[in-house]
Amino acid sequence: MKSFLETLRKLWADPMGKIGMIGVFLLIAMAIFAPMLAPYPYDQIGMRFQPPSGEHIFGTDEFGRDIFSRVLYGARVSIQVGVIAVGIGAVCGYLLGLVAGYFEGVVDRVIMCVMDVLFAFPSILLAIFISAVLGKGIGPTMVAIGIVNIPVFCRTVRAAVISAKGLEYVQNAKSVGVKTWPILVHHISPNVVAPFTVQVTLALSGAILTEATLSFLGMGIQPPSPSWGSMLSEARSDMTRAPWMALFPLLFIVVTILVFNILGDSLRDVLDPKLKV
Amino acid sequence: MKNYIIRRILQLIPVLLGISIAIFAVLRMIPGGFASGMLGIDATPELIEQVNARYGLDQPVITQYLNWIGGVLRGDFGQSFRSGAEILPEILTRFQVTAELTILAAVISWVIALPLGILAAVKRNKLVDRVVRVVALLGVSVPGFALSILIILVLSLAFNYYPPLNYVSLFEDPLRNLEIMFLPALILGASMAGSVMRMTRSSVLEVLRQDFIKTVRAKGASERVAIFKHALRNAMIPIITLIGMQMGSLLGGAVVVEQIFSLPGLGQMTLTGINNRDYPVVQGCVLFIAFIYVIVNLIVDLLYAYIDPRISYD
Amino acid sequence: MKSLRKFLAVLMALTLCLTLFGGAFAEEEPSGSQVLRYGTDTWPAGYDPHTISAIAATRVFNQVYETLIGFNRDMTYRGILAESWETPDDVTYVFHLRQGVKFHNGREMTADDVVYSFQRILGQTEYGDIGALGSSDSYYGGIASVEALDEYTVQFVLEAPNAAFMSNLTSTYGAIVCREVVEENGGSLSAIDTMCGTGPFKYSESVVDNHITLVKNEDYWQEGAPILEGITYYLLADESARLAALRTGDIDLCSLSAMNLADVEGNDSIQVISYQSNNYTYLGFNLSNEALQDVRVRQAMSMAVDRDMIIDYVHNGEAAVSTFVAPNLGHWVWDAVNESPLYTYDVEAARALMEEAGYSDDNRLSLTMAAGLLDTIRDTAVVLQQQFREIYIDVEITNLESGEYVDIWGKMDTPEAGFDMMCGQNGSGTDPNRAVSFFFSTTGNANVWGYSNERVDELCQLAVSTTDEAEREAYYMEAQQIIIEESPNLFFASPMEYLFASSALRGYEPYAADASIFTEAYFVR
Repeated sequence: MKSFLETLRKLWADPMGKIGMIGVFLLIAMAIFAPMLAPYPYDQIGMRFQPPSGEHIFGTDEFGRDIFSRVLYGARVSIQVGVIAVGIGAVCGYLLGLVAGYFEGVVDRVIMCVMDVLFAFPSILLAIFISAVLGKGIGPTMVAIGIVNIPVFCRTVRAAVISAKGLEYVQNAKSVGVKTWPILVHHISPNVVAPFTVQVTLALSGAILTEATLSFLGMGIQPPSPSWGSMLSEARSDMTRAPWMALFPLLFIVVTILVFNILGDSLRDVLDPKLKV
Repeated sequence: MKNYIIRRILQLIPVLLGISIAIFAVLRMIPGGFASGMLGIDATPELIEQVNARYGLDQPVITQYLNWIGGVLRGDFGQSFRSGAEILPEILTRFQVTAELTILAAVISWVIALPLGILAAVKRNKLVDRVVRVVALLGVSVPGFALSILIILVLSLAFNYYPPLNYVSLFEDPLRNLEIMFLPALILGASMAGSVMRMTRSSVLEVLRQDFIKTVRAKGASERVAIFKHALRNAMIPIITLIGMQMGSLLGGAVVVEQIFSLPGLGQMTLTGINNRDYPVVQGCVLFIAFIYVIVNLIVDLLYAYIDPRISYD
Repeated sequence: MKSLRKFLAVLMALTLCLTLFGGAFAEEEPSGSQVLRYGTDTWPAGYDPHTISAIAATRVFNQVYETLIGFNRDMTYRGILAESWETPDDVTYVFHLRQGVKFHNGREMTADDVVYSFQRILGQTEYGDIGALGSSDSYYGGIASVEALDEYTVQFVLEAPNAAFMSNLTSTYGAIVCREVVEENGGSLSAIDTMCGTGPFKYSESVVDNHITLVKNEDYWQEGAPILEGITYYLLADESARLAALRTGDIDLCSLSAMNLADVEGNDSIQVISYQSNNYTYLGFNLSNEALQDVRVRQAMSMAVDRDMIIDYVHNGEAAVSTFVAPNLGHWVWDAVNESPLYTYDVEAARALMEEAGYSDDNRLSLTMAAGLLDTIRDTAVVLQQQFREIYIDVEITNLESGEYVDIWGKMDTPEAGFDMMCGQNGSGTDPNRAVSFFFSTTGNANVWGYSNERVDELCQLAVSTTDEAEREAYYMEAQQIIIEESPNLFFASPMEYLFASSALRGYEPYAADASIFTEAYFVR
């Protein structure tokens, strides 16, 4: 807990970290308070293709639904999908990667073989396959993207563990007879945190992108639930008539991914174990 | 080293078998079979049975699998249910397109990302660093399909330009081929450049702080030599990992970009196969993509061993 | 009946205008490149006219293969490979073939080829039923024999009178193929380079998933046609990509949805060609769901739908209110809009019916809806969801992909389908037989809803076994009335089809029964 607060304090001290923290905080607030902030229900039909005005600050779409309200609710969907999918991928991947990297040998080979099988599918294809089997909607989409993310984490963690194991102090600890798990927890985990954190942010943005792409291909979140991805693909045939339909969801996708990435970048510097040495 | 390579190649066998089983099983779990897709609304249970019988889909799944994998091992990927065409030659033709696209995209991303990444690391926390980082992050943050459509729209409206529609291969007409490939490769490359840049920066930073760099510095070597000779060499490991992993995502990213730019590549073939529930086509494509991926990965691992002598290959 | 007449009058006026303008333009000489570049949204799934009817495929092979007869714009028949025909009795049809028609391989087409083609369709060649699975049953099942009386005369004998027979012959399923080409390819015509017909264009070369090139058939039987030197189809899956390529002049023609109309307004280099389709959008009920077995619920839903709103919101105002017999079928259509109370948008009445069936704000009905495959269908589903909410019904929508759609479609009379309702688009075809009995008779192949009404079955039977038009019309009118009253499906709109073209294109005037007629087309560039 103490080190967590310490991390936050350091993040705040970094200008990039500050921007990232504020951005992520605002997004999460937006997602949580969407029902209170949204001026209209997200699926209320009205006057179509209204340009942005005082009444509809982001304009309306082909059904006359208020884009601002949809974007707010979209933050809920995107962040929910991103966080839970990455959570599934990160937890499973972290454990598997740690085990594989530390023990090597047969355990490593079996785990990595399964990971290689999963990973050899291009991620978007794997997501398409899994969501085709699981069905559509938020739940299956999260699980599909989560599974897609497991091997990435597993590999990142394993690679970091292997290179950390070569470090002198870990070797030393082993040679003086410290038991396996304590070494894992005390010496290797901190080494893994940095690349892992970078991977989490990459995966968060990746998950939001994958969700958008799935929606673009007609899978993923179902109507009338708003997701930025599906709003964007709905806007495609109205690009010149109602550019605001595409502009705002796109803007939010880009900004969201950007702030997560900025935060992650800054986090990486702050968490680096060697800065303490 | 030789033993290590042989062992690694032997290890590929279970992976590829696993992939073949996975894709075979997954395809059959997807709702909507080939027969109903082909028959459309004329489908009746009797007709579906007839179609299944014709294509051997009425046999036990195990038998179907063994027949298919037996053929694959003899180099026979079977024929498309839909067109009756031999699958392997088709895959090989399509792969040339996707491979060219992927390699071009990778080269574009390295050309952009490696110098920027090193620059950002060396100028850490200076303005240059922040600008480079934000620009690179922006590249990752725009969805490939939106960027593709946006670029097509802007070029057509502002410059009355559309990339040539008639696909020609690199060998037929290199200039025209490059004109066709440039935009899709740039879009794929831009989406990849951000992460390569970040990883380069992180790795260079990490290595710069490691003890042996300090030793090198202490010995009086100039700063620049230290950065390029030692830092980069050690930083290559995660970068190579990343490139290995991204070959996979590039192949996947190609699915969307190939579709928008109408490139006759492997991604397009797979997607059409999925839509038609053309099982042998999808199985063949996925197995082939997986094979390429696994080979790339093998090369990556061998490079690890070559670059980082600390990794033993016993 | 009034609105229908009005609609037909407008249609005729439009046709007249088109013809007049067509005449005016015809004075211009073709100039510039005479190659038509067609942007197509889907790659054809195969090239065997006897097995595939998807638009992406017929668009291409309709230029290569021809049928005996086709439809004129006014739904009368015109000879294509047949010059004339007679019906000595109500089960016998004799066709006199055009002489000197050559296949693309140079051989003359004769009665033997017609016989062979239908044997192939019916699975009577040495290759068994390989060629024509799925189509034989619903189109040509009732043919007892096909015979060549001489080199240029073919006689069909049916098992029983079938009023829909002629109309079925116009389908590309009835294309005449070249015997030796079938044999050289082991019975399969699915590969693109096996395309060998009698049509105005012949296959030249292709790159899969990129383009297909057809070139002019110099030996085409019709004098002076085609004018075009060739047609090249480019795959442009994305709608905005098609529009962009049309704008820059890289393609000359493509289909786009009504949503793009505003985008090209005022653009002098682009013309919009449109025609009323034979399709209609529908909402089908899974009658294994007990709540939906209650006819009051289905009727209430029909009244709760504002069809004009669907037309405005989903089709940009460019569609006609429709039943399952699309307005294009003219005198076969029962005018539900004015005759049926279920076609009047009346939320109060709908709510009252729902209350009668036991529903209220505290006891709402939850239903699942599958929607596929077009964007317009997905949008229709969203509007329906909104409108049903007013009458105590909550709908959960799932959009389907093509494979799933067909699979679930086949199960829509069982709980296994996983959906209570399905929103989609169907075609009325060119004859009420398909529109009515194929979709709603108890044994109809496309009656997947578990709907069964004895009187409807009887009427379908009566209507198909007479060739007296007035009698058939009366039977079909009654059947339509019953089906709309019982609402096993709800029907909404028959959309317009849009083709966006370069303004240099002349002489291309598509209509629902034949949208790929390019024999008169040319460019003034």
